[in-house]
Amino acid sequence: MASPETQLISSVGLIEKDVNGDTLWVWCYPSVSSELRQVLLSKCCLTQEGKDFHTFVFGQFCRTWYYITTVEVQEPTALNKVTHFSIVVTAKDFNPEKYAALGRILCRMYIKHGSPVKMMEAYITVLTKGVCQSDENGSFVIKDYDVRKAYLAGSIKDVVSQFGMETIILYTALMLKKRIVVHHPRIEVLLEFTRVLPALTWHRKDWSILHPYVHLTEVEEVDLKKSSGYIAGFTDPEVSNRSDLFDVFVNLPESVITISQNAKEAMAMGKLHKDIGQLIIQSAEDSERSDSQVIKDLSVKTREILTNLVALADECEDSKITLESLKKRHFPPATENFLFHLAAAEQLLQI
Amino acid sequence: MEEVDKILIHALKQIGTEVSEETDSIKRFTSELIVESVVKCIRVIDPGLGSALPTSLPPGMSARFRVGMMLAQACQDIGYKGEIGYQTFLYSNEPEIRSLLMFLVEKLPRESAEASDQPTGKSVVLQRAISAAIKAQLAVPWLPPNCRLPLHYATQSQETLHSFHVQPLSLPQSSGKEHLKEVKDYQRDILLPITAQLSSRTCLVASVLEQHTAELSAAQEWDNEWNSQGLLSRLTPQEYRSRKLTRLHKRIEDQLRSAALPSSESAFGVSHATSDLSELLQSFSGSTHSDHILTKGSHFTHTQKFTFTQDTTAVTNPIPTVRQSEGDALLRQQEELTSLQQQFQQLCSHVSQLAADMKHTNVTNAQVMDELKKREQANSEKEEKILVKKKTIDLLPDTDNNLLKLQAVVEASSKRVINLATQWEKHRAPLIDEHRRLKEICSTQDLESSRKLSEIKSLHDKISVSTEEAKRKEEMHKQLVTELENLPQDASRAEYTQRILEIVSNIKKQKEEITKILCDTKELQKEINNLTGKLDRTFAVTDELVFKDAKKDESVRKSYKYLAALHENCNQLIQTIEDTGTILREIRDLEEQIEVENGKKTVANLERILDDYKAIRQENSALAAKIRDG
Repeated sequence: MASPETQLISSVGLIEKDVNGDTLWVWCYPSVSSELRQVLLSKCCLTQEGKDFHTFVFGQFCRTWYYITTVEVQEPTALNKVTHFSIVVTAKDFNPEKYAALGRILCRMYIKHGSPVKMMEAYITVLTKGVCQSDENGSFVIKDYDVRKAYLAGSIKDVVSQFGMETIILYTALMLKKRIVVHHPRIEVLLEFTRVLPALTWHRKDWSILHPYVHLTEVEEVDLKKSSGYIAGFTDPEVSNRSDLFDVFVNLPESVITISQNAKEAMAMGKLHKDIGQLIIQSAEDSERSDSQVIKDLSVKTREILTNLVALADECEDSKITLESLKKRHFPPATENFLFHLAAAEQLLQI
Repeated sequence: MEEVDKILIHALKQIGTEVSEETDSIKRFTSELIVESVVKCIRVIDPGLGSALPTSLPPGMSARFRVGMMLAQACQDIGYKGEIGYQTFLYSNEPEIRSLLMFLVEKLPRESAEASDQPTGKSVVLQRAISAAIKAQLAVPWLPPNCRLPLHYATQSQETLHSFHVQPLSLPQSSGKEHLKEVKDYQRDILLPITAQLSSRTCLVASVLEQHTAELSAAQEWDNEWNSQGLLSRLTPQEYRSRKLTRLHKRIEDQLRSAALPSSESAFGVSHATSDLSELLQSFSGSTHSDHILTKGSHFTHTQKFTFTQDTTAVTNPIPTVRQSEGDALLRQQEELTSLQQQFQQLCSHVSQLAADMKHTNVTNAQVMDELKKREQANSEKEEKILVKKKTIDLLPDTDNNLLKLQAVVEASSKRVINLATQWEKHRAPLIDEHRRLKEICSTQDLESSRKLSEIKSLHDKISVSTEEAKRKEEMHKQLVTELENLPQDASRAEYTQRILEIVSNIKKQKEEITKILCDTKELQKEINNLTGKLDRTFAVTDELVFKDAKKDESVRKSYKYLAALHENCNQLIQTIEDTGTILREIRDLEEQIEVENGKKTVANLERILDDYKAIRQENSALAAKIRDG
């Protein structure tokens, strides 16, 4: 019996670029809505004007994760008139490694046989059995790809080494469910960087706020604005002018983090933040601790803060915090502000 | 020679010399005629020199001698290189006179050089006529109104001064479009002629000019645009026009909308109240204002502005001060001040409380929305799970069987799907191939069409260039035809050309004949050389042969003597023939010389010289006698 995880795969599609220079969506199973199809075509590097070739990109749109594997067709092959093609797998869960492996298998099958039917057979076996024979002595088993591994696959140490103490800004923004926009001209760097950011709020394990690859189109902006807080990655440098889209702007090539005017008041930081920042840096600089251990340390600290907050809430009626109860504690103003907003983010505030 | 004389006589007639019809060659020129013509020529060539010379010979001999010397000097001053003296005029001979007159006529200044410098074109002719008319009008002096003659009314009276008023005219379209019958009737029966359409006659010319220029420039612009962009867009002219129209409409709408927006949203008193018309029009030209990005601003900044305006309104609430006594007034003012300050502080606290409330509400609102979203998602997920679980519960009673059945169903459906996929692939693959093939064909056709477009464009260019050329040549032709008609009808030009062509053909013929004769001469000479050579060789051989035998035989000795004598005589003959030929040539040369000398009229001139010499001697003696007498 197939494990429930296989129901997470939604569809598979095939995009081809031929000798005429056209990029066409040639095949998909089952169907894909035309809006999603448009978005996927725009994400595929074959439609973009530049000659950049990205082997694997992923992103989220309308709560669907898409994983695009692109391959250049080398002669000789059963496919004539096709210069490049991409296989798009859409799914409900975040697991880039799993779908990258699946994508590779499907691509190899397509090149070898030249017909999408074989590819579909493999897809259906994965769907029904959770397992698929791959060409290189071995098989693709879904169970091998645990979602926790995907969550921890990124390197938090790199983030800390790039931004140092400013990592605390990212931490605060994520805790308060603010909107973070990251910009870097290269998509691979963007994907690598953004996928690790939700790990800073490990207690939520919510990767649905992550939109690693967004273009400045109307459809995607509408989708983005549906969530109140997100992490969005853009390759378009124009996004820095769009102050309506972010509270925190991260300019990756220049390693600069900016907080926008409207969010400055909510993101005010005090001693508490400094402590947390120190903790993060110390933990990351320790060469004996691995990435997952750094995340664990941070989550321990976060849990501490949250427990305190819950304790505070219990003292009040309805076990919800009010501003007056916070003020009674005479916290320093920045900490009080932070706790107030954190309570709102954690559903602890009295309405 | 006669044609040359005719040309000379014609030229002399043109400058004013009275040459009667009988004298048609230089031979018949008398001394008086010679002097008159020469003096007239010199007067035309160089008026300074010529004014001092008389046109006729005076009667006295010494005077004539003096005039002759002056004329000779003048001719040398002008530049005549030949031998010239008083005798050329008094005792003339034909060749000298001819060369002198030819030289003088060539020196005559040509008036025809001017006309060829002018630019061609009938518009130039028109412009020259206009400038001539204006010059004439300007040359008429201005007179006060009372003194004006009818001549001045055309240019100087009040009625002729009009400003350039333009009124729209309604003209029937002469394009190839088919008109409705009603339109045609209207144009034929009801539409007034343009002279009647205007309110005053003075606007007529201006209106017509304006209308015409507008139509012309519109047509030219359309041509330019069509040739540059229209052809490239590969649309028909109507489609191109309609597309352009929609594009412009859309652009105007966008600009109006964007210009209207800022004035509605800046309700906080930013001074956009009078959105300047010029600014609006500037924005139409497409420049984007990057500083127009409207940041909503946080509620805090809004409250800031809010407080600010509140402050101003609070402050400007005037409480009228009633002037009673100075002290009372001061006290009252202080009271007012404190009360106002209290009011102010109250308002401030009220405002800050409102701000805090708003902040709080925002935050709680965000929390609630968050929770709502989460719950909705959880709901949908749970619904899906419920569906699945329901189905499994239905199947639970008979687990094993149902499991097997399910697996079988799953396998069957996956096989079916794959089957469908294969069938679909059979349909899809040819379609995609067809699509790609057609795309290839399309792109090659695109290349073709763009190539043809560029050809068309180059053809257009060629056409325009050729039309320009043709126009220019036509204008030139017209102008030259008019000039030709205006030129005086002279025979001399035609005669010149005739004569030149005749001379050229004559020379050609002569050249041919000369070459022929030369060829013949060469041939003959060759033959003569050949024969002489042969003769010598034969004689030598014969001589030797006979001499050998002559020693022995008597008859042979005689024959040898005869042979020698024969040879000698023949040689003499040949010599005589050659001498005859030379003498004939000399005779011919001498005859030619005799003719030339005869033409010089030397004998007649000598007699005249002797007579004149006698006359001069008489005059001298007469003068001497006069002096002696007193």
